[in-house]
Amino acid sequence: MNKNEEDLSQPVWNVAELLERIDNDQVLLRELLNIFKEDFPQSFRSLQAAVTAEDLKSSSRLSHTLKGMLSSLGATRAASAAAKLEALSSAGETAPMGRALSALESEADSLLPELDAYMAEVRR
Amino acid sequence: MKILIADDEALSRRLLEKTLDRAGYEVIAVEDGKHALEQLCKPNGPRLALLDWIMPELDGPGVCRAVRTRSEQPYVYMVLLTSKGSKEETVLGLESGADDYLTKPFNAEELRARLRVGERILLLEDRLVEARENMRFRATHDQLTSLLNRGAVMDLLVRELHRSHREQKSTAILLGDVDHFKRVNDTLGHVVGDEVLVEIAGRLVKAVRSYDFVGRYGGEEFLVVLSTCNPAYAPGRAEEIRKSVSNRPIQTAKGPLTLTMSFGVLLSSEWGRRPVEELLHEVDVALYEAKAAGRDCLRMAQAAAKLEMSPALLPEAVRRRH
Repeated sequence: MNKNEEDLSQPVWNVAELLERIDNDQVLLRELLNIFKEDFPQSFRSLQAAVTAEDLKSSSRLSHTLKGMLSSLGATRAASAAAKLEALSSAGETAPMGRALSALESEADSLLPELDAYMAEVRR
Repeated sequence: MKILIADDEALSRRLLEKTLDRAGYEVIAVEDGKHALEQLCKPNGPRLALLDWIMPELDGPGVCRAVRTRSEQPYVYMVLLTSKGSKEETVLGLESGADDYLTKPFNAEELRARLRVGERILLLEDRLVEARENMRFRATHDQLTSLLNRGAVMDLLVRELHRSHREQKSTAILLGDVDHFKRVNDTLGHVVGDEVLVEIAGRLVKAVRSYDFVGRYGGEEFLVVLSTCNPAYAPGRAEEIRKSVSNRPIQTAKGPLTLTMSFGVLLSSEWGRRPVEELLHEVDVALYEAKAAGRDCLRMAQAAAKLEMSPALLPEAVRRRH
């Protein structure tokens, strides 16, 4: 959680906030995590491809989808990173997109182990 | 209450689905605008909808616009969900026909409260529609018997005649009059007279098929229209309808009464494309003949003789016969 990103006030994954939103439903939480683990890598790979190809329409749509997914999950920091990428895509600013993509990737890199750890914790 | 949610992103969709399920809604979840529209256009489809703004195929505002172009359909209360937040976008969303707008990620409490607003609006709409339907019913139905009134039954008859011409089918027009009804009113009073009319109306309705119709044409006159009626069976069917009134006594406050009816019957197929007023006049003539023949019977309007005459002579011929 000690990534050197701008929005350090936010946790990588605000599980408390998510649990509050879903009335502490652990079964649903596990279900949401499974959906995320299935959908996120695929969408992220498509986004990478779109950014590489400078396909702005696709990168805008895909970063928007990822933003929704991440914010629903309570992954606030990664959601902000996706939002930034969406804004760049919409504005057609291709130059800073590579860096924004890396920022999103590094947020995801910190997020995924936290999700795994939580799943392991619950299972125990 | 049914609610539709449309979101192309699986995690958010599942989260929303569960939140609403918990709030007691019957949730229908779809993943794009096209399916959302399909669901909303179904008869008895959901009347509350949460639509994500950005979706493949058809976006949220697109669904709103399409839903709003339908007229005479129950109102659908639509809320757009989005992470967009600018004023221009809010305006665009609302102008597409959305009723409300929620920014993601939303708070469950607020979502539920906003949906309750939607339910209040829908309830209000239902009440207005009900009031309008009541007014419409009153404008087209006879207050005493609840049958179609004269104006409404004439309108339906005109439509039915057009249809039967188009489909080359025959419509049977039956005009019936209660025999010696005046005596009932004079000797037993108007209350009993009204009871009799209500009972007769009920028997006539029961005697016809659901796609035929019965109207109160005048005081004790009833018009029955049998749609797509095979000419060969028309007299028999008319007789059955007629007998449904006389075959058993009518129970009234002053005891049972046996009443009969006389009918004039006309088959549209044998009369060509003539105005409805003329057809009704002919069937009235046939009814008059039934009365003259001693009542409690029916007479078919005489088409064969009429068709031999030149149309120019018809009105005069009819006048002479009366």
